[in-house]
Amino acid sequence: MVDSTAFDVSARIGSLVLPFPTVGLSGCYGSGAEFAPYVDLSRLGAVVLKSVTRRPRMGNPTPRIVHTPAGMLNAIGLQNPGIEWYLQHDVAKFAQTPCATIGSVAGFSVDDYAYVCERLAARSEIAAIELNISCPNVAHEGETFACDPDLTARVVRAARATTEKPLIAKLSPNVTDIGTIARAAVDAGADALAVVNTVRGMAIDIYQRKPRLGNVTGGLSGAAIRPIALLAVYEVARAVSVPIIGQGGIETASDALEFLLAGASAIGIGTANFADPRAPITILDGILAYMAQQNVRALRDIVGAANTGFANSNQIEGDEG
Amino acid sequence: MAIASPPSAVVPTRILDRTEVARDVILLGIEAPELVRKVRPGHFAMALLPGGQAAGVALGIYEARGERCSLLFFLAGDRTRRLGTLRVGETLNLVAPLGNGFDCGGTARDIAIVAGGVGIASVLLPAQALIARGARVRLFYGARSAERLVEAERFATEGCELHLATDDGSRGHRGVVTELLARQSAPEAILACGPTPMLRAVSAYAQERSIPAQLSLEEAFGCGVGGCWGCVVPILRSSAQAPPFPPSDADGSDVVHARVCVEGPVFWAHELRW
Repeated sequence: MVDSTAFDVSARIGSLVLPFPTVGLSGCYGSGAEFAPYVDLSRLGAVVLKSVTRRPRMGNPTPRIVHTPAGMLNAIGLQNPGIEWYLQHDVAKFAQTPCATIGSVAGFSVDDYAYVCERLAARSEIAAIELNISCPNVAHEGETFACDPDLTARVVRAARATTEKPLIAKLSPNVTDIGTIARAAVDAGADALAVVNTVRGMAIDIYQRKPRLGNVTGGLSGAAIRPIALLAVYEVARAVSVPIIGQGGIETASDALEFLLAGASAIGIGTANFADPRAPITILDGILAYMAQQNVRALRDIVGAANTGFANSNQIEGDEG
Repeated sequence: MAIASPPSAVVPTRILDRTEVARDVILLGIEAPELVRKVRPGHFAMALLPGGQAAGVALGIYEARGERCSLLFFLAGDRTRRLGTLRVGETLNLVAPLGNGFDCGGTARDIAIVAGGVGIASVLLPAQALIARGARVRLFYGARSAERLVEAERFATEGCELHLATDDGSRGHRGVVTELLARQSAPEAILACGPTPMLRAVSAYAQERSIPAQLSLEEAFGCGVGGCWGCVVPILRSSAQAPPFPPSDADGSDVVHARVCVEGPVFWAHELRW
């Protein structure tokens, strides 16, 4: 193993400095404690907690998960106990987490986001707030926020008014021009962007002749969406200059490095934890090995190094030859 | 119920033996002495696929004795087929043991174990535990066909009375196994593992007769360790297995979602609201 102290792998998310660039993703990683038997959580940059809403939510009917080629669909439906219960019963435990805990807020109105954000961000156990404006699995078209630059801006601005803590807007890949949404979020005060949430999808059981997910549609994650997510990071990095947490199908150090080179400052690991709960550590060790081999002293030095713009269409055709 | 699991871990194991006990049904023997010491009847393992790139597969732990555990599974999809490519001497990483397991204590002397298809993989350890404490164990075992009725003789060897059913009538009763159960004298207690329609029928049978029934549920898993809330089942809030949750804006306040992987996979039939 590479001596990690010789390399600077820290990542900055607004005023929050993560000692490691790897982050356990919201909805995939519980509160972190669920993975503590398998992973040294002190070698993660942060855990993003499961999204919390104003009111309790039972979530969607099962099946909530369908495994698909190179990935999986999920439609959990933001099951959570609601902010009041969460503050009373759950948040204090996060003080024991050996890495930073980032709260995640979801909602159905601008006011919901501001209300939950203010209450959650006030807690010392919470280092930063992710605004989950891109969940594809709830009624009332929760994803609408991240699909519209104006709604994105209104949510971020309202949340911004409630806290000084770093605000991360989680963007959807299910949009025509993610750069426009990214600019709206940053102009409204987002300190960082999580790029991207799941890609909408579905699967059908041909014998029962009905959708496989209880919710009919779900969010696709895993290797299947990696090139989509990578391009989204590349485009967002060209549109804005705030830190990006790159996420979407990252399974190996090599995958993670692609996202860093595209412009991500940190790396989110979600579905890969289901293939091997040790994934965040394996990925970190692989990044360190790459840095040693490539003589990279600080990871931030390669962030965006491959982000050289887009070829015009003629050049792309020319590249084929 | 609710046998507290010993802490699980990522357990590297070595494949000791591999038998195709029927077409597309694999029995993998693995060297896992620590796991043998920890595992209790009804525990399961998340088998991490060689090469990763897909979620692990939840498998019942079939046998556990000495240095060897075994896993019994059907080649049903891409992920189980990848597990099926493992050869003797290769490494298989398991996250194990997981789940709460069956309660095999108590005073019931006449117990029915109901198994359907691959559910048979989760009921050998409880059968052994019940027989060891002197109970009469009747195994009601259903499968698609005689060929798929794998390991039935093994259960007879262990001391179970066999009651077999197949969908095509190629062995035993033609029809579903719960029809067979209903024809026999009622047991004092039931343990069951199999497809959801079978478990629902077992649940209805048991509740009509007020027989305590433990059901090991089948549900699609994400992480298998409680982090994703993908594998839930509605359960009475009053159940000892219900996770703490406030009254919700939907579905009434007497029901909450429990995770099959952590609070289960074994639940009391009368406490489920599915």
